[in-house]
Amino acid sequence: MITLQSSDKDVFEIEQSILIQSGTIKNMVEDDFTFIPLPSVDTETLIKIIEYMKKHADKTDSKEKNIKEFDKDFMKKTLNELFALVFAANYLHISSLLELLYPSIADRIKDKITEAIRQIFSIRCDFTPEEERRIIMDNKWAHEGTEIEGTLD
Amino acid sequence: MAYSFPEEVLEHVFSFLSSDKDRNAVSLVCKSWYEIERWCRRKIFIGNCYAVNPRIMIRRFPEVRSIELKGKPHFADFNLVPEGWGAYVYPWILAMSKSYPLLEEIKLKRMVITDESLELIAKSFKNFKVLVLSSCDGFTTDGLAAIAANCRNLRELDLGESEVEDLSGHWLSHFPDSCTSLVSLNIACLVSEVSFLALERLVARSPNLRTLRINRAVPLEKLPYLLRRTSQLVEFGTGAYSADVRSDYFSNLTEAFSGCKQLKCLSGFWDVVPAYLPAIYPVCSRLTSLNLSYATCQNPELGKLISQCHNLQRLWVLDYIEDFGLEELAANCKDLQELRVFPSDPFAAEPNVTLTEQGLVAVSDGCPKLQSVLYFCRQMTNAALFTIARNRPNMIRFRLCIIEPRTPDYLTLGPLDAGFGAIVENCKELRRLSLSGLLTDRVFEYIGTHAKKLEMLSIAFAGDSDLGLHHVLSGCESLRKLEIRDCPFGDKALLSNAAKLETMRSLWMSSCSISFEACKMLAQKMPRLNVEVIDERGPPDTRPESCPVEKLYIYRSVAGRRFDTPGYVWVKKQL
Repeated sequence: MITLQSSDKDVFEIEQSILIQSGTIKNMVEDDFTFIPLPSVDTETLIKIIEYMKKHADKTDSKEKNIKEFDKDFMKKTLNELFALVFAANYLHISSLLELLYPSIADRIKDKITEAIRQIFSIRCDFTPEEERRIIMDNKWAHEGTEIEGTLD
Repeated sequence: MAYSFPEEVLEHVFSFLSSDKDRNAVSLVCKSWYEIERWCRRKIFIGNCYAVNPRIMIRRFPEVRSIELKGKPHFADFNLVPEGWGAYVYPWILAMSKSYPLLEEIKLKRMVITDESLELIAKSFKNFKVLVLSSCDGFTTDGLAAIAANCRNLRELDLGESEVEDLSGHWLSHFPDSCTSLVSLNIACLVSEVSFLALERLVARSPNLRTLRINRAVPLEKLPYLLRRTSQLVEFGTGAYSADVRSDYFSNLTEAFSGCKQLKCLSGFWDVVPAYLPAIYPVCSRLTSLNLSYATCQNPELGKLISQCHNLQRLWVLDYIEDFGLEELAANCKDLQELRVFPSDPFAAEPNVTLTEQGLVAVSDGCPKLQSVLYFCRQMTNAALFTIARNRPNMIRFRLCIIEPRTPDYLTLGPLDAGFGAIVENCKELRRLSLSGLLTDRVFEYIGTHAKKLEMLSIAFAGDSDLGLHHVLSGCESLRKLEIRDCPFGDKALLSNAAKLETMRSLWMSSCSISFEACKMLAQKMPRLNVEVIDERGPPDTRPESCPVEKLYIYRSVAGRRFDTPGYVWVKKQL
């Protein structure tokens, strides 16, 4: 059994066989660590990560459909939750979870205008108006298609 | 809370954004996102090859794997763009050969590509997979031989409707025995006979082949040899669909087609012998796309074939289908989305077939999913257009080509303004429109008022005055491409809507009333536009400045003027 400690100082005891899905934890286990502090992962997120790894630990054929359903539901989270998960999964090197998270986050960006994307990610625009104008021009004039482009004609 | 994601996380997220629109939106979020995005954009689309240049593209996007370029304006299809105008791909290939060693895909439309370019592609890109040449020209089968011989991982070779100098069919034999990666091969535009044995062997060693379009020279009786070897085909284009009528040929062919359980799309069908059409019947119910635009067969055989294709979504056909066949289509093919009817004899003085507005009305009535139409015919009425508009508010592309210019509504003998007006008013999602028939400035008023999503508009022999052009330029908010020929549109509308031209990809005007003087003024006023005066009558200053130019092509560009213009094109500095 391995003990994980969240940034909120909550502890969780989990079987080693489940946790080795995390590349980071796997390395530490191989170095004989049994107590692993995770100062960058809060309790709420850690609980979800553990839930994910538990479900994915048992990968027999019969469970595959089951797992797919679980994954689909698992992604039904708020954007903030997804962000917290992607930070954690990136740090913990859980590649299968990352493979799920990337397209889910991409879906929230699709078909959105730049300002909306900035708001979602709480990012401030650091372009000067002139720089922004230049890029808009480049995007539109060189690289913009029409709605019906790519169809014959 | 501000999220500063690690670069690699963002890169991965961006890799799931494939549309240029999304990537462009992302690139503007902030400086670091711009940087991350530009390093991981793998697919580039350039709608006008002169709107940018290779150096600018490579500077911004250093790691591209796939590029799509479009060259000549659309009216080049009607021989309105003189030989040598431009759209040479060589400078792009040269630059990419140095900067994009991992390039996998090149898709070109209406560009000039030489054998030298093809050889450079074959030599430079070790992982080259896809070459699509749609309506291109400038190359020979020698260039194709280079591609065949050297591109070890070639997946797709599609020659579209290109004009190839066909030196011999031998090039196909240059595919090495080790080439087994082909997924798609389209050589329909080639004239020469290719070695059938080489073709058969190539097909047999391509387990992933899903699209095969052979050329006219491959005889009908040879088709079973191919189909048997590649029964997992999804798209197939026949050669000449004719042979002596023999029962063994027929049964072999029928059996071969029956074996193709995945077949969804058929094309080819030159020189059809109707007796062989029933060989296709076993696959009809699975077909979603049928291209009979070369098939000279008529009713009842033609109608009988089509009426069995209950799942048809796309039909391209000659006007031999006639109103009768279109009524059958409307009754049997409820999933139809796209219909193109081409003229079998456009230069005939009198109609050679009974194809009228009735056929199109019937299809618009019977096919609820119809959204894309290209229809050549000889007569039309406003009433018919009203009906079509009312039936199909979901129309997205509507191209009507009444063969004789300025043909009026044959019932009222008046213009077709109101009919097209109904189309733009009812079809709120309309993206593309081609007008024909007798039309006054009125129709342009309707278009400017209602066609808010229209992106591409083609106008010929229409309108009375500048007002027509003004309505379009001032009203159509989403307009990207405007092409006009033989209309009395002049300087005033063009100059007063100069700013509009920076919001569009391009404007083509030929045989209109734009003066050389106005072109100079426009070029002066709008330095970011490339104003090209195309005039084969000699230098514009040998004529009065007020004399209308032959042809005018205006497009926005971040690359400035081009330097590969032929003698009959005048650009910026010279203006």
